[in-house]
Amino acid sequence: MAAVALIEAITMALAHELEHDPSVLVLGEDVGINGGVFRATAGLAQRFGDDRVIDTPLDETTIAGLSVGLAAQGMRPVAESQFDGFVYPMLDHLICHAARLRTRTRGRMTCPLVLRVPWGGGIRAPEHHSEANETMFTNVPGLRVVMPSSPHRAYGMLLAAIRDPDPVIFFEPKRIYRQYKEEVADDGEALPLDVCYVLREGRDITLVSWGAQIKETLEAADALAKEGVEAEVIDVATLRPLDFDTIRESVAKTGRCVIVHEAVRSGGFGGEIAARLAEHSMFDLKAPVLRVTGYDTHIPLFRLEMKFLPDLARILDAARRTLAYD
Amino acid sequence: MSVAASFEIPFLRYLEADGRLSGAALPAFARDAQALVEPYKLMTLTRSFDAKAVALQRTGKLGTYASCLGHEASHVGVGMAMRPEDVLALSYREYGAQFARGVQPREVLLYWGGDERGSDFSGPPHDFPFCVPISTQCLHAAGAALAFKLRGEARCALAMCGDGGTSKTDFYAALNSGGAFNLPLVLVVVNNQWAISVPRSAQTGAETLAQKGIAGGLHCVQVDGNDYIAVYDAVSQALQRARDGQGGSVIETITYRLSDHTTADDARRYRDEAEVKDAWQREPLIRLRHHLVGEGVWDEDKEKAWLEECARRVDEEVNAYLAVPPPPVQAMFDHLYADPPPDLLAQRAEAMAREVR
Amino acid sequence: MSELKTFLLPDLGEGLPDATVVEWFAKEGDLVRLDQPLVAMETAKAVVEVPSPCSGVLRRVGGAAGAVIITGNLLAEFELDPSLPQRAEGHDTGHHHGGAAPAAAAPATPQAEAPTAPSEDDGDGDAGTVVGAMQSSNQVRQEAAVSVGGVKAMPAVRALARKLGVDLSRVQPSGPDGAVTLADVKAAAAAPPPSQTTPPRPATTQPPVRQDVASAATRTALSASGKPMRTQPPGVGASGQPEPLKGVRRNMARVMADAHTKVVPTTLCDDADIHAWRHGNDITVRLLRAIVAACRTEPALNAWFDGDNLTRTLHPHVDVGLAVDTEDGLFVPALRNADVLDARGLREAADRLVAQVRARSLPASELAGYTISLSNFGKFAGRYATPVVVPPCVAIVAAGRGRHQLVPVPGGVETHKVIPISLTFDHRVCTGGEAARFLRALLDDLALPD
Repeated sequence: MAAVALIEAITMALAHELEHDPSVLVLGEDVGINGGVFRATAGLAQRFGDDRVIDTPLDETTIAGLSVGLAAQGMRPVAESQFDGFVYPMLDHLICHAARLRTRTRGRMTCPLVLRVPWGGGIRAPEHHSEANETMFTNVPGLRVVMPSSPHRAYGMLLAAIRDPDPVIFFEPKRIYRQYKEEVADDGEALPLDVCYVLREGRDITLVSWGAQIKETLEAADALAKEGVEAEVIDVATLRPLDFDTIRESVAKTGRCVIVHEAVRSGGFGGEIAARLAEHSMFDLKAPVLRVTGYDTHIPLFRLEMKFLPDLARILDAARRTLAYD
Repeated sequence: MSVAASFEIPFLRYLEADGRLSGAALPAFARDAQALVEPYKLMTLTRSFDAKAVALQRTGKLGTYASCLGHEASHVGVGMAMRPEDVLALSYREYGAQFARGVQPREVLLYWGGDERGSDFSGPPHDFPFCVPISTQCLHAAGAALAFKLRGEARCALAMCGDGGTSKTDFYAALNSGGAFNLPLVLVVVNNQWAISVPRSAQTGAETLAQKGIAGGLHCVQVDGNDYIAVYDAVSQALQRARDGQGGSVIETITYRLSDHTTADDARRYRDEAEVKDAWQREPLIRLRHHLVGEGVWDEDKEKAWLEECARRVDEEVNAYLAVPPPPVQAMFDHLYADPPPDLLAQRAEAMAREVR
Repeated sequence: MSELKTFLLPDLGEGLPDATVVEWFAKEGDLVRLDQPLVAMETAKAVVEVPSPCSGVLRRVGGAAGAVIITGNLLAEFELDPSLPQRAEGHDTGHHHGGAAPAAAAPATPQAEAPTAPSEDDGDGDAGTVVGAMQSSNQVRQEAAVSVGGVKAMPAVRALARKLGVDLSRVQPSGPDGAVTLADVKAAAAAPPPSQTTPPRPATTQPPVRQDVASAATRTALSASGKPMRTQPPGVGASGQPEPLKGVRRNMARVMADAHTKVVPTTLCDDADIHAWRHGNDITVRLLRAIVAACRTEPALNAWFDGDNLTRTLHPHVDVGLAVDTEDGLFVPALRNADVLDARGLREAADRLVAQVRARSLPASELAGYTISLSNFGKFAGRYATPVVVPPCVAIVAAGRGRHQLVPVPGGVETHKVIPISLTFDHRVCTGGEAARFLRALLDDLALPD
């Protein structure tokens, strides 16, 4: 068993499926000999050949459209959008076709594709390389929207995504691509989608997050523990379909909830969770549900970037505000 | 100065508008006129169906419908030239191609009648359903062709789009992919001269639409789209070339949209009636019929009998369509995911419960 | 007087702690211009040319050729020449790409990173970002399994259990330290235990895994020749299959054995005469009420005892542990505040607890913390019993099957309904007198009409 970073766990998962399932193929820009601009596909073309790991022409529409065609005809394409900010031309094929082929043809035709998207800010990149745009997809029926927050979950959830009979948008929080390493067995064991992962148990407050902010959320839980407050930390992991039961049960226990996401506040996915809590957990709540999010601005260039992203201090402020309600 | 590259776009026609031979030697399949009777009959059936569908819409029995009037040779020619194992990725008008491949008219009616079950059609299960976002089917066909190539299958993917469709990003992306990966891909551009109200001349500066394929390194040819023999010939040659691993093609069929864009459109707002009347002179059924009659394999009695048979069959299909009850409310929720999540199932139950009240 | 500028050795892009001077391109006293090559430094991977951060006279070098300079220590000192172009003091862009270091190295001011954060690119080799700068570290972290309600499992295991609808408390753990593994959950999902209660499971589940007694038709007591039949060939031990205990049953085995080693049990038995009961009395409610009355009279039995520290805690409230029998085993949920609830409240509480047990929706915390227990086994059979006291409690009341018996009264004989009552107490901490007084109060309350 090796200690691997999140990005390496992704490579492991891709290699595993390329080896065990001949219908799986990887396609995108620079994924072949270059191994991907983040090295997610490092070594794969060399190992599996350029008819399994395919460098496409420079066009996101092409990548998305080819993937729909491939998937509809029995392949399992794992496509890559080189960056989050480049995903928009793909929306047409993903929303109009990938998400709909099964329902459009009453199950005669299906679309088991995966789109991997390096996601989110915090790496001091140029414009359009730091978008947290999960809500482009969380409102689309027929898609799954998935985001791991650790190497082990990245490995297991990518396996599950590739094996899923329906299209999956797989967001990879690039800020934590190499943040730490974790022992991950290359055993082909998929982890479940459609469920939240409770990373930390606690009685006093529920902290809900996903992606790179899991890092700061766990740090907030540690800081709160020093003050005698036990926080329960929930990694949503699959945004669509949402496992709301786990969140509801946690809030029934704690009565307090803070949602942390780096995406823009208004229209962000935290609103969906807050609305469901208002609907189902009204009488369990001891305090308003607070959201710690990016502001309603575009993520600024890197000189201000870290002020846009939710940080430990802002999470703790919100947590303490909810705890102050009696 | 030397020349870096040059190109020629061949043009194919075997039958003149009035059915006389144009002078080019007929391809092998067309030399026995009897072999052309079946496609002629299918073209006629398609037209009968089409007229009936428009009538259904005008009488409130069908939603908006896109007529294929005038396109019969282009559509049926494509459908007949393809093999069952090939994949068709069409737009939303090419019923003649679908019927040639086994789709039933009642299924087309179901689709325009607002029922998804129409897309779960008879015929090849690997054919793509109607595709509304323009030309996106061209990229899907490219993806299918890539799958065939990777798996070493002797199958082709064929996409059909219109003249307006050749302006779309996806069309260029598809022909580029076709050339970059040397795919067994055939793009058939049915140039009916109109993209709703925008004439062909406003779509592009290119002299022909076929030559757009040159930019992707594909074989390109233009044909008289109202000449069944020319269409069948060009398509079958392109498919064979693709099957032999010699790459993809763009085939532009020149035809005319004798109807409105859809039943929600009124073409008189933007085009001259005289132009339409003129186009009728070149329509596909007349010329093939004249050829068949001239060859002694068809006559007025056969025509009359066949039209009656078409009417009977179309009525049967229409009645079958009208007899289909509306789908139950839960159909909305079914087939969204292989494994429906619990909150979707809860909504499904809620919707079903409302039905009982 | 000219300004002096100190140039500290910057992080040359690979997160290394130091670098070695290879060659100075200027000597002390020389005038050096901004960006002019100043010195060649060798890191673990490459020789990097460091340009001058300013224009001025080189006054001091931090070390001669061959010297090792620690990152952040003095590399060179300049006397600035104001007549020549200088660079503004900007901040470090923080971009350090993996692989070959560029000729233009980081500017003079070292970046201020939070001390606890991993340094930029201290991971190995190619960090592969065509744009941007990513934090990279070789630090290995491991998520821990967390114990909740006695069940230890990693987050991924809990998530899978939720996905597959598996109750973790009923899964046999096979992982290290008694943790439940993914494989355990999958096995539990594939072969569910015998169905517990309503509602019935859908047809897709497998039939219960249970050792059924072989039907009589396939087994005979006599062989064909009329000799008694063995049930097993010689040398074979059991004919059934050993089945590991799971969940509550497993727990009970452990808890009872533990209680047996600690408690010194003594039991008093008697009958409660309920002849006077008016119609509509609920036996469970009356038993609970009687226990409350007895606790008020004799608080010594409503207590917790710590045998290790020899402390006794008398409780001001009465929470009754109510024994509930299920196919999976014994559950004892706590009926809180029995001393405050009225008859209807007691009934509702008891009903709710039983329903929650049947639905397995009771949190683990509600299966503990009661101050005294009640076991009503009288539904089926049995008069008197020696029920088990489970620490930290000191007493348990058991009620057997009600019966009628002849009771002599002045002037004759009557038929009275009685309920047999058994009271076990821990003689380490309660006296017989306390127990007897408790029992008296219990029986007196039970004898009341309502």
